[in-house]
Amino acid sequence: MTDPTDTLVNGDRIELRFPARGDLIVLARLVTSAISARAGFDIEELEDLRLAVGELCLLALHGSDALHGDLCLELTVLGDAIVVVCTLERAAAADVTGPEGDEIALLSEQILDALVDEHGRESRDGSVRAWLRKRRGGHAE
Amino acid sequence: MGREQDPGPQSGATRTESPYLTPAEREELITSNLGLAHQLARRFLHRGEPLDDLVQVASMALVKSVDRFDPSRGVDFAAFATRTIIGELKRHFRDKGWAVRASRRVQELYLELGHATAALVQQLGRNPTVAELAEATGASEEAVIEAIEAGQGYRAASIDASESEDDPLSARLGEYDRNYASVEDRALLGPALATLPAREQSILRMRFVDGLTQSEIAVAVGVSQMHVSRLLSSSLQKLRDGIEQAGSERS
Repeated sequence: MTDPTDTLVNGDRIELRFPARGDLIVLARLVTSAISARAGFDIEELEDLRLAVGELCLLALHGSDALHGDLCLELTVLGDAIVVVCTLERAAAADVTGPEGDEIALLSEQILDALVDEHGRESRDGSVRAWLRKRRGGHAE
Repeated sequence: MGREQDPGPQSGATRTESPYLTPAEREELITSNLGLAHQLARRFLHRGEPLDDLVQVASMALVKSVDRFDPSRGVDFAAFATRTIIGELKRHFRDKGWAVRASRRVQELYLELGHATAALVQQLGRNPTVAELAEATGASEEAVIEAIEAGQGYRAASIDASESEDDPLSARLGEYDRNYASVEDRALLGPALATLPAREQSILRMRFVDGLTQSEIAVAVGVSQMHVSRLLSSSLQKLRDGIEQAGSERS
């Protein structure tokens, strides 16, 4: 029997903040696993989300001075979906036009296309914000 | 590249070629996107499959995407191929019963960690770090952390397993521990424990922290095993009452 205190329901929101470093993206993936499981996502969807959140963090880090600032991961259960927003606040001036960086971002976006229902990314006032939305039972491929 | 043409007869019984591309265009598209297949395969590492196998699955999926790709539709090939390759990689794990295997793998790793921890404690004279456990078990640090986290659940499932004939784990935990399984409850345990007399605290510590049997505690404290049993029962009841009281005050 599921312990009712071990589940997440509509409107529940979890925030994780950590230094904006690639080697710490593992934290985002681990938290995503735990939250997805508690929000009723099956193991395949959970793996999709782990993979997708890793890409989301990469997207937020992409083109920024990743040695400064924090990555803030916000996961919200909305109905039968999880919305994940990854924000890199006050990122240093970024070279987002480099061909290599663009290629990395493009691959991440293509992977997100295959894994989640919706995703996007925007930069504003020195902050980079990448987000995704994935529904339960949607099995995006 | 990119013009409609009749598929025509296939050159081999198992070979499927593009109805839309010339052989040269097809080969060029495959060759130029092998890097993409490789990069996507790497995204699926640490799931119990060797990279070579994953690259093979991804490469075959790439060929499949090339053969299905119709340039006249105006779709970007890399986006189309990414979707197909990820789909095939996921199907690969699904076909191999990955969902079940993943769970079993985590369980196995959790058990393996227990042995590795014991060995490393002996070897290092202190508790090992996650990095040391990862090295000892050949798993990634992330997998180790995941197994430790998942192991909290597996531990509950293995309560009935006997550690030894005269001291099964279920007897050690009894029914009292069930309600104190969560981290939140354990956070309340400290203050509640502090309210108990020193001797009862000591007996609880010997039983649940040091892992002594009731008989061993009886010898250490100089009372009968039955008396230890009664002391444990009453101490745990007091703890439970204290935690419930603290919980109700908190809410």
